[in-house]
Amino acid sequence: MQYLRTLKYGFYVIFHPFDGFWDLKKEHRGSVAASFTFIVLTIFMLVVQKQNTAFLFNMNRLETIDVMVDIVSVGLMCILWCVSNWCLTSLMDGEGKMRDIIIFTGYSLVPLWLIQFPLIGMSHMITAEEGTFYYVFTTISYLWTGALLLAGMMVTHQYSVKKTLFTTLLTIIGMAILLFIGLLFFSVIQQIATFVMTIYKEVRFR
Amino acid sequence: MKNSKKKFGKLLCVLAAAGSLLFPASEVSADTMPYDTYSYDWWGEDVLQPPAYLYAEELSYIQSGTKLKNPQDLFLKHDTLYVADMENSRIVALDTSGAMLWELSSFTADGAEDSLKSPQGVFVTEEGHIYVADSGNGRVVEFSPNREYIRQIGRPETELITESQNYVPTKVIVDGAGRIYVIAYGINMGLVEFDRNGEFQGFMGATQVSVSMFEYIWKNYFSTDAQKQRMETIIPTEYSNIFVDKSNFVYATISNLSAEDHLNGADAVRRLNPTGTDVLRRLGNTAIIGDLYNATDEAAWSSFTDIASTDYGCYFILDNAGGKVFCYDYDGNSLFVFGGKGSRAGLVRNPVSLALSEDQAKIYVLDSQLGSILTYEITEYGQALLGALKAHNEGNEALSYELWQEVLLRNANSEVAYIGIGKTYLKEGRYKEAMEYFELGNSRKYYTKAFKFYRKDLMQDNFGKYMGLIAGVVVIALVFVVGKKIKRWVGEAKCNISGR
Repeated sequence: MQYLRTLKYGFYVIFHPFDGFWDLKKEHRGSVAASFTFIVLTIFMLVVQKQNTAFLFNMNRLETIDVMVDIVSVGLMCILWCVSNWCLTSLMDGEGKMRDIIIFTGYSLVPLWLIQFPLIGMSHMITAEEGTFYYVFTTISYLWTGALLLAGMMVTHQYSVKKTLFTTLLTIIGMAILLFIGLLFFSVIQQIATFVMTIYKEVRFR
Repeated sequence: MKNSKKKFGKLLCVLAAAGSLLFPASEVSADTMPYDTYSYDWWGEDVLQPPAYLYAEELSYIQSGTKLKNPQDLFLKHDTLYVADMENSRIVALDTSGAMLWELSSFTADGAEDSLKSPQGVFVTEEGHIYVADSGNGRVVEFSPNREYIRQIGRPETELITESQNYVPTKVIVDGAGRIYVIAYGINMGLVEFDRNGEFQGFMGATQVSVSMFEYIWKNYFSTDAQKQRMETIIPTEYSNIFVDKSNFVYATISNLSAEDHLNGADAVRRLNPTGTDVLRRLGNTAIIGDLYNATDEAAWSSFTDIASTDYGCYFILDNAGGKVFCYDYDGNSLFVFGGKGSRAGLVRNPVSLALSEDQAKIYVLDSQLGSILTYEITEYGQALLGALKAHNEGNEALSYELWQEVLLRNANSEVAYIGIGKTYLKEGRYKEAMEYFELGNSRKYYTKAFKFYRKDLMQDNFGKYMGLIAGVVVIALVFVVGKKIKRWVGEAKCNISGR
């Protein structure tokens, strides 16, 4: 019941972001479980959208669609965003804990799937000339999500607008660096593994 | 007895005829072809398809006189092939089997002996007048149908070309109104245009030079002198070949495009109207640049050297770099690509010119290195494909529909065929089927048209149902709202009464 209430609170947050995010943090109106639910719903929305949007608006090649790509891209982006944001804000006097960051990120994604799910159905009822509506709504969903992310960060970390924008920029750079280090790490591990394997083979075949 | 024998003989005849229909005696076949036939689909990928043209024979005609030596131009008119044999300084006429009809190298001009020198272009008008781009002498010469000298058109008299500039005409065409267009080497202001009397009229269809803002800033403020020097070469491109169609539109190809030009979307082909404006339809899925490759593969860009067009708007372009022939329809959709470079029979070394027979049954490709003409014959698939487009162009929808079905039987990947059939369904009002075919043909442009009508029909047929549904929802919502209000009103009234 508690979980359902936290889910329902998502709808309040997207219309009253400052109030809502404050309550998420201070009044514990939200939960990490609900936040994960919203992230999973976003992934689910992407999967359905890629396959089931009407032909007129669907530029995806069905043979090449891979569910794993959606899962990894959204999931990885969320993880990177949260980690990078947490690392930076701990240094920059942010008040949010890791839990708060995960919650505000998840709750910010609500408009994305809330708008785009009905759009999948709507795409089957409109012609290409009326496609403007489709694209406008898509754009609105992204802008709304973006605005919520900013507002969430502002409220959660008690930042000014200027500092929020600056931190967002740094967070994105941080994500890139994390990605780079991650790839580097995997590459090095791979090299070491090959090296060890080669030595093992050499020793065995002697 | 005699009678029955006769009958038996007749039967044999019929059987033999049937057999020859089933197993035609021609030697060409798809599985011995040294090249693949393909086209580009909506995704920009090359998709194999049945061959539209098969290699037939090589017309090298060594038997009569000297071999062609570095020939530069091929022209086909009324079943006669005219070749501009550059290094032998002559024009050669061949029949379609490759036998020589006549050759023309020297002639009597106004009482004096004269001769051609390295001609690179030849054109024959409807009346049989022969125009030769006499490159070595810097002039265009006109001959009568029996090869008598009529006139020559020399260097255009204009201040736009300086005295030091060479005038080397390489290709010449004459349109239905008698206007003469010449491509001259080193002149990058477009085609040189003469009127029917040989008076210089001006330049036509000049390629515009557009320098982007970024390029301008980069060049003027951020480049070293060495870089600047390399970049000086931003000059308009020259046309490589021209072709005039039945309605006096001039098709022109451009060959010397760099990879950068291709990526920036430069035109490789133009269709010029008599005022010199490019009116080529570019509504296809891909740019009309020949093979589509990525930026890293610089050597693979196609380089167009000749073009030939049909009455119904399909055109064939010869690519010198890959030795291929590209066919596009009126809208610029890629129909098929065939040919290649190599030493096997049917492949080319250095193709320079192509000619199309009147009914598109044969394509002639002139190879300057081989010194011979390669012929390619149309297949049943090619006939169906081109026939469908022709029928559609002539407004014969029934025939076009039939031929598209035949195309689909042979090539289930043909997007143009799906779109063609979809168009027929759209006209017949079978919108749902039309939508299906447009989706298979990846045409969103036509799909949305069909969908619009389909939706309209659906709404009209089920208007009552939908309106009933909406009305029902509204009524239920109203009942709820009003019910709530009444309850509230009753409650308030009760409160008021009890409060008193």
